[in-house]
Amino acid sequence: MLTVTPHHFLILAFLLVGIGFLGLLVRRNVLLMLMSLELMLNGINVALLTFSKVGNNLDGGIFVFFIMTVAAAEVAVGLALLVALYKKRNSVLSDDMAYLKN
Amino acid sequence: MDTYLNFANDNLWGELWPELSLCLGALLVLGIDLFSNSSKSKFKSGTFAIIFQFSLLVIHLLDYLVLRHTFDRESFSGMLKHGLQQDIMRSFFLLSSLLVSIVAQGYLKTRKLRIGEFHHLSMIATAGLMILCQSQHFIVLFVALETVALCFYPLVAFDRESAKSLEAGIKYLIFGALSSALLLLGIVLLYGVCVNPIAWGANPVSSSLSDPFSFNGLYYIILENPNHLLLRAGVVLILSGLAFKIGAAPFQIWVPDVYHGAPMPVTAFLAVSSKAAGFFVLINLVNGPFAGMSEFLLPLLGFIATFTIFFGNLAACAQRNLKRMLGLSGVAHAGYLMVAVMASMILPGSSDRAIWILFFYLFTYLLASFAVFGVMSIAKVSDDTEHEFSDYEDLARKKPWAGFTLIVGIGSLAGIPPFAGFIGKLLLFSLAFETKLYFSLVAMVVGVVISIYYYFGWIREICFHPRPVFEDDEPKHDPWADSEKLGLLKAALLSLVLASVVLGLWQGPLGDAF
Repeated sequence: MLTVTPHHFLILAFLLVGIGFLGLLVRRNVLLMLMSLELMLNGINVALLTFSKVGNNLDGGIFVFFIMTVAAAEVAVGLALLVALYKKRNSVLSDDMAYLKN
Repeated sequence: MDTYLNFANDNLWGELWPELSLCLGALLVLGIDLFSNSSKSKFKSGTFAIIFQFSLLVIHLLDYLVLRHTFDRESFSGMLKHGLQQDIMRSFFLLSSLLVSIVAQGYLKTRKLRIGEFHHLSMIATAGLMILCQSQHFIVLFVALETVALCFYPLVAFDRESAKSLEAGIKYLIFGALSSALLLLGIVLLYGVCVNPIAWGANPVSSSLSDPFSFNGLYYIILENPNHLLLRAGVVLILSGLAFKIGAAPFQIWVPDVYHGAPMPVTAFLAVSSKAAGFFVLINLVNGPFAGMSEFLLPLLGFIATFTIFFGNLAACAQRNLKRMLGLSGVAHAGYLMVAVMASMILPGSSDRAIWILFFYLFTYLLASFAVFGVMSIAKVSDDTEHEFSDYEDLARKKPWAGFTLIVGIGSLAGIPPFAGFIGKLLLFSLAFETKLYFSLVAMVVGVVISIYYYFGWIREICFHPRPVFEDDEPKHDPWADSEKLGLLKAALLSLVLASVVLGLWQGPLGDAF
């Protein structure tokens, strides 16, 4: 039987971070960019918990709660800004955000 | 119950009184804003915020200059460190926050924006910056950094009627969140190696020394394994997260757009406070926990510094919009300061000459930036984000005091002899020479020469009248036409000018530190 080792969890974590980062680069919709950011932070949480388990140290587990809170706050602000911008422009695409130019 | 009380007492909450009272003041501002009838009441939240921050600054300066001699001390079981350097940064942030409030007062009133919320957010951001500079533990550092960032996102997008301001807010949010994710990944990698070094092939240190998130614990593990791959990746990720915040070169893409769209007082706040905090944290990290990796980090930072100086200066030359130009010139200043960080890594100890020079440079930058942004906030340009060179035509004749303030500010930013900015640059040059960073020294000199071009283009516009006027020209909108009462702002700006000139001619007891 295949046993799941910490290395598998770390691979999962870095895959999540990588997918999130890639999504941030290629997505054109700001909503999906915010979701990619969340994915990155969740990947980091998985890595943190794995390290915490391997090292038998609870600090990492506590840090996860801080990260979750901060991520929620960040997305709340982001969505509020996005709604305000949508009311002005009727678009959430990053290509349409080109008012700030030299 | 007694155990909890003792626990609370051991934390030494009293050491945090400036931050706690600032937060209290911020709540009071909101309360006053809520309960005062905006049209009738005499006691406005904005006035309260300015008086409160001014008295806090005075009390704080008295507290550590006169009442007690500052010594290094720790609170919250070593998570926070207080000392002379931290107290200097605290006063720096309080001063900057006070100036932001003074600049914002008139600005918000003329544009009919909410006053209470603005002061609330800027005061909370300042409290976060103050904690950030005292943190000795990565959890505290992260939480403080996010407190600051979460206040800055709405501040940048504060003008909700302007699509440009909102767009700048969203751009800042995406880049800021990405940078904190990178920083976090770095912290997690360092933590992972620190809690179980053997599992990741690193040399262990004695377990009493390894508190996995604190700067002290990480110092030993990095000193022991300077070539470990995961540790190196963690350190590089943390530094790139910070480079985002200070706007250093491969991570500076957000700077021109965000400076362009943000309201003027927020641009000044971002340029001064946020950058200063980033540099103080950076210099603390490379002198403290990352000291074992100096050999690896020096060439990396040297590359970043040179790239930042050249990118900032060359890109600023091409700008027509003044806010974008100032943002990119701020990028160039970040490059100069990066040289101070490198010098501090070479010089031994954690309170060497380089740190005092960094402080001096940051103070001169504060004085000059607020002079420039303060005058820019008075101009009645039809669209606030589009300040162009031609709007400042002949300002020295239309409003002599504003023209003079602006010239002193620009001169100090450019580093022209009678002003404080010159002394700051001179000290940086001598520092780079002393620590044998000849390549960075050459880059700085070339960068300063390039910067003269765009700074003096602006001064020429202010002093002379370069464009001929013909009789059949369309009458242009003059942003300096109406003269309103600006009592407090005018006094503040003129005292900034005075400080710039005085510090340029006489450094007094400060000179001993260099």
